[in-house]
Amino acid sequence: MTRLERLINLVAALLETDRPIPRAELQQRVPGYEGSAPSVRRAFERDKDALRNMGVPITVEPLDPAVPEMGEGYRIRREQYELADPGLETDELAALHLAASAVRLEGAGGQEALWKLGGAPGGEGPDGPLAALPGGEHLPTLFAAMSERRTVSFTYRGVERSVDPFWLTFANGRWYLGGNDHLRGEERRFRLDRIETPPAVGEPGAFDRPALGRRASPQPWRLGDEEEVEGLLLVDAHQADWAVAQVGEASVRESRPDGAVVLALPVSNREAFRSFALGFLDHAEILGPPALRRDVLDWLEAVPG
Amino acid sequence: MTTRRRASAEESLRRLLALVPWVAGRDGPRVEEVCARFGCTEAELMEDLELLFMCGLYPFTPDTLVEVTMEEDRVWIRYANFFSRPLRLTPAEGLFLLAAGTTLLALPGTDSEGPLGTGLAKLAAALGVSPEEAVGVELGHAPPEVLATLQRAAADHKQVVIDYYSYGRDGWGRRTIDPHRVFNATGQWYVDAWCHDAVGERVFRIDRMRAAELLDITFDPRPINGTTPTYSPRPHDPVVVLELDDQSRWVAEQYPNEGVEHVGSGKWRVRLRVSERAWLERLLLRLGPRARVVDGDASVGAAAAERVLARYGVSVRSQ
Repeated sequence: MTRLERLINLVAALLETDRPIPRAELQQRVPGYEGSAPSVRRAFERDKDALRNMGVPITVEPLDPAVPEMGEGYRIRREQYELADPGLETDELAALHLAASAVRLEGAGGQEALWKLGGAPGGEGPDGPLAALPGGEHLPTLFAAMSERRTVSFTYRGVERSVDPFWLTFANGRWYLGGNDHLRGEERRFRLDRIETPPAVGEPGAFDRPALGRRASPQPWRLGDEEEVEGLLLVDAHQADWAVAQVGEASVRESRPDGAVVLALPVSNREAFRSFALGFLDHAEILGPPALRRDVLDWLEAVPG
Repeated sequence: MTTRRRASAEESLRRLLALVPWVAGRDGPRVEEVCARFGCTEAELMEDLELLFMCGLYPFTPDTLVEVTMEEDRVWIRYANFFSRPLRLTPAEGLFLLAAGTTLLALPGTDSEGPLGTGLAKLAAALGVSPEEAVGVELGHAPPEVLATLQRAAADHKQVVIDYYSYGRDGWGRRTIDPHRVFNATGQWYVDAWCHDAVGERVFRIDRMRAAELLDITFDPRPINGTTPTYSPRPHDPVVVLELDDQSRWVAEQYPNEGVEHVGSGKWRVRLRVSERAWLERLLLRLGPRARVVDGDASVGAAAAERVLARYGVSVRSQ
């Protein structure tokens, strides 16, 4: 009797029941739990943990809800176990397989996910990964909360927040969570690396998702609570193409004959706007409004020398 | 895959819980296809299937056991109704597949109406999220024609001349490179290349190129170390020690450094190796009054500030 056999039989026994099975009975129905009582118990606990780790939803339920003193048993509810069939065609599965080979997400294994959908239906992937995305400690929890529409609570920059999670976006090299912030009563985005506590999740189906979800990518100078002003930034020809690529053509207010551009940017975080401007060294200049121009001049004057 | 360690019970179980419903739902698929789909050798498959047909339900009489039949090169699995569907995707797996598909969809030249787009939409629906909005991946800008040229050149082993902006030196220049691999890491596009001007392996950011010209010169691909795209300090680079306040401590987290020291009253000292002056200039201008050079060339920040102030028409710095 190998451990693999024991695990297969355990999953089969827990799936094929319409009532919770007490541990002692399970140990009889599933061969391979032998030895002293403590070692049998340890082996069972280890199997249970291994199965839960791979996502098998083993629940603990009272044997008889009316008689709590009868104790508890285990089962796997089929509706929680089974994958809803997405109904993928072979070419769709092949395309997903290609994507899973081309992209790495730190901390996520791709192959097993594909097995569940029917494996790799042929076709070679690229040599190395084409794109590698960093992971995030709380990504799986937040994604699960998003798909089950559970409100999440966490500490963010020292403040306790409750958020209905709507979307996750990777942009500017970071993961962001977007959702309805109960504290502010409006949609906000949060940087995952600034979430200070493991998100606590509430009940499923707690909110309705708005029809319009994800917004355009967050630019740092928009991520602030300051009153929004329009910042005008002159960027020399030297760096103009790169700057326009960063902010988008729509932000170009003026294109000058020498190749320089004036960008008009909505600023609600002056510090981030100043940092963006100073990244160009002397190839850019904040033209207005006067308060933002004054801000960068004061800042430069204060650079210790 | 030539040598392979023996799979753990957990690994085999993950495979079987997916493979059994797939095989059971079909009329005798070929063993070769099963192995290709589920990434195992024929020997591994046989080993697992031999176990499987001794599995089933209490009391393990023949009528409660899984039936596995092999005939020539085909395989049938019957009476495994408890495994009629695969185990659902974990949140991490669901997120990964959506993120990977979304990433690939965003690449130039991918047809969003094609099988990847429709497959992603079906998957998102099965996961209970909205396909367009739930997971977004923005890989960062790269001039599309430059990206395409480099990808083609890497595939065909052709040399390329790039017009490249050196961030560290704050200047444009032309370089001849052998592009080995184009990739995206943490949202930036890079090319791993042999640089003929530097006579060495270099990693270039593609968003800092404004042109790439394909040459009709073939290069022999050489083994590339797979350099990490982040700056790795070299021992002969000059040392700069910065004193930071609490608000600017992020410098120590964001850049490779040789040590951080708390010097009391909310002040920190971080020791950096800096090879390029313009890099340090940007850092010091962004930090402004929140940082001070305590070891190294202390004039860099002030000189850069004066240059930028001059551009604003302010010629004299108040001391």
